[in-house]
Amino acid sequence: MSFYRELENHVHEQLSRRNFLSRTSLGLGAAAVASLLNADSWGRAPEAPGAAEEAAMPLGAPHFAPKAKRIIYLFQSGAPSQLELFDYKPKLAEMWGQDLPESVRKGQRLTGMTAGQSSFPLAASNFNFSRYGASDMMISELLPFTSGIVDEVTFIRSMYTEAINHDPAVTFFQTGSEQGGRPSWGSWVSYGLGSDNRNMPSFVVLLSKGRGGDQPLYAKLWSNGFLPSVHQGVVFRSGPDPVFYLNNPDGVDKAGRRRMLDALAKLQQAQFEKILDPEINYRMEQYEMAYRMQTAVPETMNISDEPDYIFDLYGEEARKPGTFAANCLLARKLVEKDVKFVQLYHQGWDQHGNLPRDIQTMARSVDQASAALIRDLKQRGLLDETLVVWGGEFGRGAYSQGKLTKENYGRDHHPKSFTIWMAGAGVKKGFVLGETDEFGYNIVKDPVHVHDFQATVMHLLGINHEQLVFKHQGRRFRLTDVHGKVVNEILS
Amino acid sequence: MILTSLLQLSDWALFIGRMHPLLVHLPIGFLFIALFLEIAQRFGKVAVTEQTKSFVLLCAAIGATLSCVVGYLLASEGGYDEEALSQHQWQGIGVAVFAWLAWLVTSVRLPEKTGWLSLLYFPAFGLSVLLMFFAGHLGGTLTHGDGYLTQYTPNPIRTLVGMPPREESESGGEIKPLANVSEAVVYTDVVQPILATKCVQCHGSSKQKGDLRLDGFEHLKKGGENGPVFVAGKGAESGLVKVCLLPVEDDQHMPPKGKPQLTTAQIGLISWWIDQGAPTDKKVQELEKNPEIAAHLEALGTGGAGTTAGGPQAKPGVDLSKITVGEPDKNDVAALRKLNLIVSPVSKDQHIMEVSAINAPAFSDGDMPLLQKLSDQIVWLKIGGTEVTDKALSDVARLKHLNKLYLDRTAITDNGIDHLNTLPNLEYLNLIGTKVSDASVKKLADLKALRSVYLWQSAVSDSGIVQLRRLRPDLHVIGGLSAREVQDFLSAGKKDSLGTRTKAE
Repeated sequence: MSFYRELENHVHEQLSRRNFLSRTSLGLGAAAVASLLNADSWGRAPEAPGAAEEAAMPLGAPHFAPKAKRIIYLFQSGAPSQLELFDYKPKLAEMWGQDLPESVRKGQRLTGMTAGQSSFPLAASNFNFSRYGASDMMISELLPFTSGIVDEVTFIRSMYTEAINHDPAVTFFQTGSEQGGRPSWGSWVSYGLGSDNRNMPSFVVLLSKGRGGDQPLYAKLWSNGFLPSVHQGVVFRSGPDPVFYLNNPDGVDKAGRRRMLDALAKLQQAQFEKILDPEINYRMEQYEMAYRMQTAVPETMNISDEPDYIFDLYGEEARKPGTFAANCLLARKLVEKDVKFVQLYHQGWDQHGNLPRDIQTMARSVDQASAALIRDLKQRGLLDETLVVWGGEFGRGAYSQGKLTKENYGRDHHPKSFTIWMAGAGVKKGFVLGETDEFGYNIVKDPVHVHDFQATVMHLLGINHEQLVFKHQGRRFRLTDVHGKVVNEILS
Repeated sequence: MILTSLLQLSDWALFIGRMHPLLVHLPIGFLFIALFLEIAQRFGKVAVTEQTKSFVLLCAAIGATLSCVVGYLLASEGGYDEEALSQHQWQGIGVAVFAWLAWLVTSVRLPEKTGWLSLLYFPAFGLSVLLMFFAGHLGGTLTHGDGYLTQYTPNPIRTLVGMPPREESESGGEIKPLANVSEAVVYTDVVQPILATKCVQCHGSSKQKGDLRLDGFEHLKKGGENGPVFVAGKGAESGLVKVCLLPVEDDQHMPPKGKPQLTTAQIGLISWWIDQGAPTDKKVQELEKNPEIAAHLEALGTGGAGTTAGGPQAKPGVDLSKITVGEPDKNDVAALRKLNLIVSPVSKDQHIMEVSAINAPAFSDGDMPLLQKLSDQIVWLKIGGTEVTDKALSDVARLKHLNKLYLDRTAITDNGIDHLNTLPNLEYLNLIGTKVSDASVKKLADLKALRSVYLWQSAVSDSGIVQLRRLRPDLHVIGGLSAREVQDFLSAGKKDSLGTRTKAE
């Protein structure tokens, strides 16, 4: 209690009355901004003096008319092997068991898991590839359903990143920095574009696991960082209580909850006038959002009305809450509700050993549902303005980690090349960008850095990645830091 | 002579040579003074002594001689049209020779002043002045290119002196917009006009700096004294592109500092043309282009109906960034928001907006007039799942910039579709789950701007969809997945034989 009194006194000492009034009006302006909606100039009250900085922030409107209104990001956590799925390298079969030439690796930094290996025997994919679609893309037999949607998809075979381990690499993809603490991608999008549905958060996270015992995920990946907390990703879990503490506890009815929120708002407002912390307003906005979500979320999460053929399409697993297939179906339902950023994480792709066995499990858990999602979005008229992204945090190396046999091998992390795909709004259909060398080790054509990829997706969403900035601790931050170039080649 | 040959070997020669355009104005000035003095004296305006005249002519003669020497050094640099240069040289020498002669007559004290020698004065002086005009003009032509002086001659004067009327294409530095960009020949219509306006002045028929001519493909191919200026297929590695990209302070940068520079778009287009193998006969639509290049190309057009840079396969859509509308009235926006409609800007710097009824399922025909207040601004309208009927579509028809329209899961029927043909920008139409039937197929095909139409769960039959696709091959007609398509999708996935193969390997 004494802390608050101290803070209060401090605030009052610091501010002259005049200053106080203008700060308060700015604060109220900020309260309007805090709303996920109506953040444009048409609805805002006349700007208070000194609010220029606030007003300069690009809130609630794209920089230019967007191609994509929404994104579903099917993040494959653990890093799927591009050599078994998308990047066909017959040379590896030819040189099976021979050492990776030093001229290829060029002293590339390896993880502690293989750096000590005495040899780096090249391992070929145990799975066959065939050509599909107009782009003649080579796809592995591990992904028979994905092979069927090639003509809707742009593959980038020349992705590269800087991080070599999972946590920094996923964090880099999702926040633009290898260290945690920055706002996540979805928060940036929510901050930049606002929400298209006042009853739903604009950034929703869905989690699933293809296998147990793989790399963990952390809440920092959907944290708002230093952005206002209304932009935080909301995790929807499977089961009767999809959002923690959203439902009223036993004995509290809707009217009671309303009265409680109204009383709380008065208290918060009083506190805000003393402390002037805009986070108080953001918090209230979140309470109100949660109140509206109490009806909207159960409606959206209810998949019992879906016809049987939809479950045929996504696979029987889609009936089982918490699976990747069920989450894909939910993702579709969320974008039907105009949720801006639907972030799926699917864990289990970290195949250091027993790769041939485990990658089959993983491929089966995602292949059908990923392809079904594209087909389903298309028939609903949603693929035209929804961008779907599929990919992991890095790739996997050309040589075997551990003992190489005809039946079994493993692959270590490989940041220098990997494949991701995108489909839907604003990207080319049936297109392949980039090429790696014959070992699938180095990129030889059209490299795409993580920041380039981020800049491109932001561009599709109508955001100039260089202009979406937030001033924090004395400098302006953005998702792409000081990097990133829009990859024009893949835009339709 | 020894001096000049020595000078030729050094930068000094070039340094002094470049003073020629400066120096030539000395004899011109002195000759003019002499001329004016002569005329004024005739009319008794001034009293001029022979000594004064003689001194002015001496100055003119010395200046002309120096100009000749320095001009010779400049010529040794090369890059000029041989014939014009030789003419200019002899005319210049003539100016000097006759100026000396005129001076000689006025200054040399001869026994009989009215003797035959003094008869030479006027012809010598007159020739010197006359040759000065010719040499001066030709010198200008050598520096600035042919036709520089008369380029902007207005048409009335042209008729008087018998010059052909001025053509628009000569309108110096300006490139004429193309009527039909996709049909334009890349080299002739895109690349050559850029070179003609920015390069040919120094690299053309009258001047060939660095032995390079850029006024025809055969010259371009030949290159200059430093070899070829482009490598077909490699725009970025081609000298032609590289010199333009150097910092303007760099000595190698072209066009030289102070001259009109190529725009980024122009450099991009030349580079793109070289990337594509530098063809001379290919049309814009025959070459591959990225969106940036497509945009540059589009900018070359007149903006008319024929300006489709994307080629037949990529029909460019409605460019929302081109729509300019006034700011909406805040009260009108607020009135919509009161209905729980979501009104959001589509682009920060324009006033176009999206209106969505996702939180307003009770939205109905009676609310439609409120949208009319924003009929300029609304480009995307999402009223799927609401109470609207066909009646609402007569109001929708007045949203003149409407680009996307969602009517899914509403009571819309074939009658409503009639109203949509007034919307020139309508590209996306969602009719999922409506009563729209085969009777609308023809009407939908007539919506010219339409790019995709969604008919899943509508009353349009499979044969109606086939018919629509036939009427409009460019239109994406999406009818939803039939039971058969679902089966096909599933059987494609059943090729999966992995369970058995890992062991077998």
